[in-house]
Parts: sequence; structure tokens; C-alpha cells
Amino acid sequence: MKKLFLAFVMILMIGVLAACTNSEKAEKETPVKEGETPAEVGKTTIKVVFKDDGPSNPVAVTYYEKLAEGLKKDMDLDVEFELVEVAQGDYAEKLNLLLYSGEIPDLIYFQGADQQIADQGLLEDLTPYIEKSKYIKSTMNPHNEARMKNYPYLLWIKPLDPRVPVVRKDWFDQASTSAALVENPTVENYRAFFDEIVKIGKSTSAVTVAGDIRELDYTFDMAFGINQTWLDNNNGFEHFKVSSQTKNKLKFYRELYEDGLLDQQYLTKKHDTKQEVFYKGETAVIPGTNGKVIDIYNDRMIVLNGEKSELEVLPPAKGEYQGFGATDISKESRGVAISSQSKNKEIVFEVLDYLASPEGQKLDRLGFEGEHYNIVDGKIELTEKYYGDWYARYWEPNKTEFDLSPKTPLLGEAAAKSIEMVESYYSEDNAFVLPEEYIAQWDAMENLYKEYSADIITGKKPLDAFDEYVEKWYAAGGESLTKYANDNIK
Amino acid sequence: MKRMRTLSKIREDWVLYCMLIPGITYFVVFHVIPIIGMKLAFQDYRIIGDNVWVGLKHFKLLMDSSAFFDVLQNTIIISSMKIIFIFPIPIILSLLINEVRSGPFRKYVQAVAYLPHFLSWVVIAGVWISFLHPLDGGINVIRDFFNLPSIDFMTSKEHIRWVLVFSEMWRSAGWDSILYIAAIMKISPSLYEAARMDGASTYQQMKYITLPSLASTVVTIFILNLGFFMNAGFDQVFNLSNDSVNSVIDILDTYVYRIGILNGQYAYATAASLFKGLVGIVLILGTHYISKKYTGNGVW
Repeated sequence: MKKLFLAFVMILMIGVLAACTNSEKAEKETPVKEGETPAEVGKTTIKVVFKDDGPSNPVAVTYYEKLAEGLKKDMDLDVEFELVEVAQGDYAEKLNLLLYSGEIPDLIYFQGADQQIADQGLLEDLTPYIEKSKYIKSTMNPHNEARMKNYPYLLWIKPLDPRVPVVRKDWFDQASTSAALVENPTVENYRAFFDEIVKIGKSTSAVTVAGDIRELDYTFDMAFGINQTWLDNNNGFEHFKVSSQTKNKLKFYRELYEDGLLDQQYLTKKHDTKQEVFYKGETAVIPGTNGKVIDIYNDRMIVLNGEKSELEVLPPAKGEYQGFGATDISKESRGVAISSQSKNKEIVFEVLDYLASPEGQKLDRLGFEGEHYNIVDGKIELTEKYYGDWYARYWEPNKTEFDLSPKTPLLGEAAAKSIEMVESYYSEDNAFVLPEEYIAQWDAMENLYKEYSADIITGKKPLDAFDEYVEKWYAAGGESLTKYANDNIK
Repeated sequence: MKRMRTLSKIREDWVLYCMLIPGITYFVVFHVIPIIGMKLAFQDYRIIGDNVWVGLKHFKLLMDSSAFFDVLQNTIIISSMKIIFIFPIPIILSLLINEVRSGPFRKYVQAVAYLPHFLSWVVIAGVWISFLHPLDGGINVIRDFFNLPSIDFMTSKEHIRWVLVFSEMWRSAGWDSILYIAAIMKISPSLYEAARMDGASTYQQMKYITLPSLASTVVTIFILNLGFFMNAGFDQVFNLSNDSVNSVIDILDTYVYRIGILNGQYAYATAASLFKGLVGIVLILGTHYISKKYTGNGVW
């Protein structure tokens, strides 16, 4: 009996294995996957890998179908898209594994770790394509142009991404220090505002960040004189992380922390818990990426706390300089690339160029007609679904020419203001792409900075420990990197 | 003759042997074949074209990196703490569960003890961060009750390794006790009956019957666990780390992940992993032979 039972289990297991094998084989034999249309004769197939846009995502499948229709109608380009499913998990990690396994799609979206692929000659130099493009060249932002000059493999026409500080407008209006802050946002005026806003909101802290003080640096770096990654101190360039300017900035953060104005738990905060304490009023100010993210914060705040709680964007601190930090123009940190192995490079770029055209922008920025927007009296009215679900996969140039109904703007007031503010303070950084041999050393140097800055801010180490950190930083590879910077920065 | 006997035994229990096939296939596909890929540690990887043979270049880079020795030290310290403080807990737990006589209560205890094993480290990290919160976390509320100062465990370099040990203990003790409970179930009840007739107390039965019967299981599990000595817990560290404590809990796996996977330095990361694997093999073989010499028990 026992043997019979075991034999039954065995057969079952073999059956399961066999079933798996059959389905894999079936997939191989039939190139048509769920959500895809069968290949038609004469059509060019473009293989695309993009975060969250696998064949199992019905919105992505519809998007690429509509894109193919648009290309046919407006450009007479006969293409179909084959979406590549990336395994669940960290996108950069899984994409890297996919590419290193030898599967290289025609169009690739990177979220980091692209440099090693480019170093192997697998990414196409986009400069000549951009030069002869019809739309892309004219829609590129100044930072895109500068980045493409330094690293011509990744393209990402999106607004700059510094974090801007936001506060509830009803609290902001109640504060007597608000006017001074807006008029002259010195570090001292910021400090006074933080002191008052905590009392108005009966909050536990004035400001919090998600585990990483860098979010706050966007507001304060330039005020403390950190206007570039490599600071020119007359004797040559030194990295800002070992400069006296950074020491002064850490001293300021330390005072905020000591006085309870900087969240005592910022080190263990994640993005979700950071937002949660903001909506609950436990903290008054949080930094958020300018643009759409501010819109999301604003909508959520209004839903939870009423119309009066809409958000106000605060200016960057003013001191030696003012701004939301210099923009790294060494390369795009994310973006799309064309495989140098692709047989359809020209066509792939035509697709990218089409996405920058008025028709392509309409699809990419606004979504599907009847679902994400409607045409009412000749004007575009965005729907709730647009605000809830839609995001532009590709280009978001600053200038748009949509005939939008004033009732439904693309972005809310706070979000639009945040973009304007960031653009108005644009300045270029002198950071460069780190050579491969410095990657392991840089990791050690970064860890030193993170540890010492966290310990100094939270009072675990005295401010004087900064000098000890500087010594360690140089010993961990900073010396040779500084020499490299001085030899290479023009 | 011996060979014939083995063959006839296999023929007799062929169904059982057939059931080994999926397991063997798994180990061959996921553990044996990847060993061939270890040659990457001696090459510069090229996606298109042949890899370039670079000999010990990546090992030299590894040995020249001060960060590597820091993470190696952290890995050894954290793994040692886990082995010393966590390893005995499932054994103690299984002995205690074995003493619970009431059927439903025993099942309840077992279910509660197994439950954390099924939670992901993301959830566990959230639970522990709340539990150890310096203001309203459970542990600090208790400390406050006894007029003890609050401790920010999550950002304290002195305490964070203990947080790793206790959170791992909470997660795995129940699940790991299953093996020992199974081994206890195998002990013949007649031994306990005889002991009771001779007037042995519960403690004496545990000391003289249960524990000696568990010895070979304990030794085998201990030696096998040593093979995973260098796996100090990637998911756990990844979710519980922050800037203030990273320097004391950054382990080989998180280092390999950052440098190798995120920065695309696969060959360098493979060299670090190969080094880790070699340490594991040395530990297994060393412990096996030492145990064999002194106790007569080993893995084989």
C-alpha cells in the first residue's frame, strides 16, 4: 500500500515536471505571447525592455500597440514591439543579469549600471541620431545637452530631479516667519521658521528625510558654499565631502537634531514612513522630488486633511550661493539607450523621435483618449484615472503645446511651482564619471562619509571627528581620486 | 558482493530512489553547474566575444581593498554570534515543546513559534524597528518603567549586531526546531518507560535519553550550518541597516551586491563569492574531521 502511495506521488511529481517542460516548449514554439499581436510580414520588430512594462502589464501592452498605430499613421513606419519581461525585484539588478546573459533588446531603459555595458561597446552613440532628429534635438533641456556631450549613450528628457521642501499652506500662512523666509531664505531664517512651524503644527519635528540626509542637502548645500562636487579652494580641487563647507553644514544639521527640529528617527525612516508622518502632521516639512511627486504629496494631503492643507513649496536656502544644488552633467543617471547590436537602430531612434513629436507626446504624456483624457469642446480634459494612474514613460520636456482645459492642468500649482523654482536655479556641476578602478574605493569612501555624517548629526561623535573622517577618506582612496580630479577637471 | 547487495536494495526501493531525482536535479542545476561559472573570478567578463583571462587580478584587488577586510571581519563576527547564540535555541525549544503534554496547546505553541519564519525580512524589519523605537517601542517602554534610559537600538553600533542575532533567533528558532522534534519523535518510548520505572525524573530523562539520542542530529546540523557560516544574512542586513550602523553590519553579501550587482563588477563579485565559498568548505571539512576524531560523529 505504502509503495503504491509512493508510486502515485512519484507519478504526480513527474507529471508536474512534465507539465512545466511542455509549457516552456510551447512558449518557444509559439512566438506570440499574451497581449501581443502576431508578427506580420514586412513589420520591423523592436524588442523593448522597460521597468514595469513587461507583456504581463496590460497598460504597457496597449501603450505599445497604440504607439505602433501612431507610428504607422503619422510616420508610415511599420513596427511592432516585443516587450521583455524582467524578473521581479530591483530593476537595475535584474536588467543587468538579463543583459549579461547575452539577451540585448533593441531599446533598453536603464536605471543605473549602464556604464559597464557602454564600456563593452554595446550601447550606440546617440549623437549623430540626435543631430539629424526632427523633434528630439529641439525638446532637449540644457542639462540633457550637456550630459549627452559627456556620455552619449543614455537619453532622458525629463525635468531636473532635485528634492524641494514642502509644507502645509495653512500652517505656512499662520507662521509669522514665513514672509521673511520667502523674502530672504537664509539659514537663520530657515532655522526660525522651523522653530515656529513645529509649534504651529504641534509636530514632533520640523523636518524629516527618508534615512538619507542628502534629501535635505538639496536645500542647504549651496547656502553653505557647496556649489559643485569638486570645490576650487585655490590650491586645487577638493571633494565637497571633505571640505570645511560640509563640516559647517553638518554642524547646522547637528544643531537642528539637538533641538529636536530634525526628526530623531530620520535614519530609520523609509519613504513610506516619511510620508506617513508628514500626512499625520508629526513632521511639518519634507523634501520631495519636484514635479509629479509633489503633486502626489499634495493630493494625498488634501484627501487626508482637507483643501486648506494644500502644499507650499519652500525656496532653497540662501547663503554663499543659492539653489537646489548643482546639476550633475557627467551623464544621465537613468534613461533609454539603443543597443549597438540592434539591426534596426535607425528605426528605434525614429520611434524615440516620434515620442517627442506633438502626436507622440499626446500619447506618452496624456495616455489613452476616452480613458485618461476626453476631448470636450475642442479642449483636452484629463480624467481622474490620468491623475491616479498615468505617467509619461519617455519624454517630459518643459514646454508642452497641449490644448488643455484650465479645469484639468497637467500638474497642480505646487508641483508646477516646484519645477519652475528648480529650473530657475539651474547650474552645472563639475562631477565626472568615476573610472572603473575607483568603484570599490568609492564605495568605502561613501560609507565613511555616511557613517561619520550620521554620527556627527546625531551626536554620537563630536564635530571634531570630521577631521578624523577626512584623514580616513583620503587614506581609503580619496588621495588618488583627488589627484585624478585635479588632472582631469578643466 | 557488496555492490550486488546495494543494487538489489535500490531495485527493492526504486520508488524511494526515484523520488530523489527532483532533489538531485535541483542541486545539479543550481549548485553544481554554477561552479563552472566560478571561472569568471579569473576573467574579465565580456557579454559579446570571449572573456579575457586575467588570472588573480580580481583577488589582488579584493585583498588590496580595506573595505573587503572590514566586511569580512563583520561577517565573521555576526556569523559567530549567530552560531553561538542561535544554534542552541531550536534544540532547547524542541526539548521544551516535547514536554508540553496537552495536544492543542502544543500545536498552538508550535504554530506561534513557526509563524515568523513565513514573514519576509521587509515585514520583520518594520516590526523590529517599531518594537525597538526609542520613544514608544515595546522594549523601551519596559525600560522606562524600570527607570532605565531609552536606547536607540537601531542606530547604536554597540547594539545593532544583537538586534541581528535576536531578530534572526525570533524568526528561525521555531522552524529550525522541527528537525529536532522529528529526531525526538524517533526515540523509542520504551526507553522513557524503562527510565520512569527506574524512578528517573523528567530532567533526568531529558539529560540521559533525549539529549544523547539527539547528539548525532545536532552534530550533523552544526557541521552543515558551518557551511553557511559566511552567509551572515543578506536580506536581514539589507533591511535593518542604516548609515549610522552600516560600518558594523556591512557583510560580504551586501558588499558583493553593491559592488558586483549594482555596479556591474561581476568578476570582482565572483572572486569575493569564491573566497566566501572556500572558507565555507574549509570550515565544513575541518569541523567534520575534528568531530569525527573526538566524537565519532560527522557528516559522513
